Amino acid sequence: MSKKRDRLQIIHDILKAIASRNGRIKPTHILYRSNISHQMLEDYLKEMMAKGFITEHVLGQGKTYSLAPKGFEYLNKYKLIIEFTESFGLNEDDE
Amino acid sequence: MTNFMIVPPWFLGYNIILEAIFALVTLIVSRYAFKIHRLTEQRQLRLFGTAFLAISISYFIQSFLNLAILSNLTEKICHMVKAENINTLNLIGIYTYVIFFSFGLLMLFYMTLKIKDIRIFSFLLIVVLSAIFVSINVLFMFYLISSIILLSVCLHYLKNYLDKKQPKTLLVLVAFVFLLFGRVHFIFALNHGTYYVIGHILEFGAYGLILINLLRVLSKNEQKTR
Repeated sequence: MSKKRDRLQIIHDILKAIASRNGRIKPTHILYRSNISHQMLEDYLKEMMAKGFITEHVLGQGKTYSLAPKGFEYLNKYKLIIEFTESFGLNEDDE
Repeated sequence: MTNFMIVPPWFLGYNIILEAIFALVTLIVSRYAFKIHRLTEQRQLRLFGTAFLAISISYFIQSFLNLAILSNLTEKICHMVKAENINTLNLIGIYTYVIFFSFGLLMLFYMTLKIKDIRIFSFLLIVVLSAIFVSINVLFMFYLISSIILLSVCLHYLKNYLDKKQPKTLLVLVAFVFLLFGRVHFIFALNHGTYYVIGHILEFGAYGLILINLLRVLSKNEQKTR
């Protein structure tokens, strides 16, 4: 049985998916790479835009997403975030 | 009303240094919690940071109060705040310490509950502070209630350790168990000075472990970014 992913890990997976495509990616590709449901992805993308992690680009055919500076910082400091929250029992389960 | 603890004369001075160290360690932990909160905006981190900040303020007050008692600062401060006498100032100091520490500990407890309703926290705070301040022996009641709350926080960290079974979670669990035993010793410190010393030593061990854990976390991040 696989372990539950918490919110921090899901955000990390989405950011990593965006970063892997040279910074711009369509929602369907994020969906494949982050392995969450469509509804959850919608919610996460909204939350991450509101928190300033990602930027949405509306094109003629659809939307793409790119990393904002705060998103890059999150990816760089992810190890610190996880070590701190895990050791002090500050996890917020979501999946 | 009994609001004083028996402090062995040889320990005066050491207690001030230890309390200042506790204040500093909790302040550093709080700073990092807020720093990571700025990145993640996780509610748990904000609560944890606030809890440690309140505990840090309480230790600063306790340390300053003990320093004031030890030195001749007390009379000057009494004059400044127009307090009637040294006893009144001591009481104000003790009550402020009790309020901040209880606030911090309850915030930590509220965080472990994972409930998003600030009214529950407010209710708990009012109940706890009322129980402490209407008690005949304020300090006895304070240490008793804080021990009970810490026991609950320890259970949260025990669960956290059993879920992950990692050295870092064990380190934090042991730290909070030390804090709990430290608090329990302070209950008996109202009658025996030795318990006051043991309580401080246990708290020193607890905050030492918390600091070691924080340094481990920071060193791992540096290894990654190198």
